[in-house]
Amino acid sequence: MEEEKFEPKITAFVCNWCTYTGADLAGTSRLKQQTNARLIRVPCTGRIDPVFIIKAFEKGADGVLVSGCHPGDCHYNTGNFHARRRWIFFKQLLDFVGIDSTRLYFSWVSASEGKKWVDVVNNVINSVRAKGPFLGYKNLNKETELPLVNKN
Amino acid sequence: MKQLIEISKELLESRKAGYIIGYTEDKFHRTKPFIAHTTNDAEKLTFNQKAVHNLAVYLTRLPKPKEGKIGIVAKGCDIKAIIGLIQENQIKRDDIIIIGMNCNGVVKDINIDYNKENSQMKCSICELRTPKHANYIVGALEDFAKSELTKNILAEFEALSAEERWKFWEKEFEKCIKCYACRQACPLCYCEQCIVEKSMPQWIDSSPTTKGNFAWNIIRAFHLSGRCIGCNECERACPVNIPLSLLNRKMGMVAMKEFNYRHGIEPDQPTLIGNYNTSDKEDFIM
Amino acid sequence: MKNFVITREQLANLASKLLGENWTVISPSQNGSKYLKIKDAKDLIIDSALKPTDISMKEHFFPKSETLFFFKRKKDDYELIDAPGSEAKTVIFGAKPCDASAIPVLSKVFNWDYKDEFFNKRVENTVIIGLACKFEDENCFCTSVGLSPLAENGSDIFLIPLSDDKYFMKPITDKGRDFIAANETFISEADNISEPINDFSTPQKRFSTENVKEWLDKNFESKFWFNAGETCIGCAQCAYVCPTCHCFDIVDEDCYSCGRRVKNWDSCQFELFTKHASGHNPREIQGKRYRQRVSHKFKYYKDRFDELLCTGCGRCTRGCPVSIDIGLILEDINSHFLETINVNN
Repeated sequence: MEEEKFEPKITAFVCNWCTYTGADLAGTSRLKQQTNARLIRVPCTGRIDPVFIIKAFEKGADGVLVSGCHPGDCHYNTGNFHARRRWIFFKQLLDFVGIDSTRLYFSWVSASEGKKWVDVVNNVINSVRAKGPFLGYKNLNKETELPLVNKN
Repeated sequence: MKQLIEISKELLESRKAGYIIGYTEDKFHRTKPFIAHTTNDAEKLTFNQKAVHNLAVYLTRLPKPKEGKIGIVAKGCDIKAIIGLIQENQIKRDDIIIIGMNCNGVVKDINIDYNKENSQMKCSICELRTPKHANYIVGALEDFAKSELTKNILAEFEALSAEERWKFWEKEFEKCIKCYACRQACPLCYCEQCIVEKSMPQWIDSSPTTKGNFAWNIIRAFHLSGRCIGCNECERACPVNIPLSLLNRKMGMVAMKEFNYRHGIEPDQPTLIGNYNTSDKEDFIM
Repeated sequence: MKNFVITREQLANLASKLLGENWTVISPSQNGSKYLKIKDAKDLIIDSALKPTDISMKEHFFPKSETLFFFKRKKDDYELIDAPGSEAKTVIFGAKPCDASAIPVLSKVFNWDYKDEFFNKRVENTVIIGLACKFEDENCFCTSVGLSPLAENGSDIFLIPLSDDKYFMKPITDKGRDFIAANETFISEADNISEPINDFSTPQKRFSTENVKEWLDKNFESKFWFNAGETCIGCAQCAYVCPTCHCFDIVDEDCYSCGRRVKNWDSCQFELFTKHASGHNPREIQGKRYRQRVSHKFKYYKDRFDELLCTGCGRCTRGCPVSIDIGLILEDINSHFLETINVNN
């Protein structure tokens, strides 16, 4: 019997003006990429409260990617600067509580960088696949689930 | 505490202060927060080593007085919270009168008298025994028994592996009953609608399951990063004794290490997390 | 009425036996923080002089978070699955009178217009072994609310220490008698020994709850409440550690195609507790919320169920970050009431 290989679930929070458009460009250019990432579009990376990242891990993500415009190119001028400062704190906080912060990735991808987007996504998916599933929350979730309920 | 009472009575009588937030002692010798509205009330004001409460928490919770400013009795460490609030535009320096108290250390457990074991760690390294930024400075400085600075708990904790750290916090957060005492006791948690109260969508579970407790405590620590002034009231208020100061102190150290910033030092210093620098590091960004 | 005697050693052996039979055995914890499910008889704590635990025993009957039912989406319909509920046979050793007496008080509200099966099942499956109390401090006032260090309300079996390691064992309810009968190998009969109640002092009453209620009946709008509740920071710790506070919130947690409905502890001290959907809040200041707390415990519950919603354990005061003392406030109300009688005479 063939063993089911682990396929990671990646949640990607992307900013609408740069990265989302870049990902769209990757699509229209028919660039091949792995499909494990599910994109969530936000207006700007400055909108992202780290609680979204925690929620993603809670709901079963094995890795989270946050991507936005290059510094200086933000559609709202300064959103990504604020976000960058927050991420410096958040990564260290995650490490402190024992959540592997290397499962959290950040990138700057502009609207014309379709190829870069594909590289970033493939990179992240391969790294998380090598790390294996994120078990911490899966164990905690058992507390609130009926043991016999099949969630899918 | 004659000087304190005299100053307070004068402020209340002349209507310079609408009310004064201070401490009083009840018939069981418990020191507790007290709001003096009249000169009779002012007779009850006191200050001693059991005055550990951070009164700055009332600045964002009580209604403003109809006439006059708000008087507040504050230790050096409490004033950091007041300055922090001014930095964040929650109160104006002109709206308050700070009666600074020369401080001789405060207790950890308010039910027992002060002694070397029952003394806050922050008192052993305090540099603000004579407070700064106060309108008045009252009281006498005396020697006091300091608690021994035990080994660096934070460094010890960080030496553990990621798995051990997770297990530690899992055990602690299982105890959490989501009473939000930590949030209510914190002078810098003043949001009119806290993120846990947002139900559409519900970002943080309101149920006290371990999973929800992780999210609550992590996000509270994050929202206080670069803003926590280290008064330790959250840990003191917690009914199930979760070591919250570990989390908040860690974020304070990140602010110091990465940005050389401490909150609540100068009222006109721009806040850390509310601002940015175009040259902030980004070695972790792909 | 037969009474019995048991030694400390036999209590530990009894606990071991019950643990071996998969009973849930609960006792106050080593660090005094809560009533803990113990895994080994050596963790059993039976101590009359123990300070009340930081949080009360109610979490074993009314847990901080309890699933009511699960739901699963099936095509165009939902399937409801009942939560398993608690079937475990449980025994609590060394419950203080101020904790045990809270259970019959809570039973009244949980069997009022709707019978709470979750609560009732846990009460049915639990044997409470109360222990007479030798602790007293400025925070507790059990005698003022009609209880005492020897109060047997709520206990199925009551232990009174005869010496450091011997206890007088009194069955109170049928459940208690059945439990003793089922475990008689550990218990001896109390042949000529009488109840050692003389070793226990009765702390003085600090106020009269009749006076307090009469004052509460007439002084809803009094300015007294603004001062009493002024320094309260609304942290709700008092409600969560209290053995009789029982407010709860029901929420749904879902994962789109499945989820559960859950009942969590709540408190009237939160600002959001009475906030209407319109934005109006009838208890918008902390003084009004504090008034609700005291009135619920000493007037409304008495009006409706003829019971006080307070056992005088003092936990709320011990744990309060700003040391608000409900005992002192009740003493004040008592004095105010006496003043009005004197004025009228």
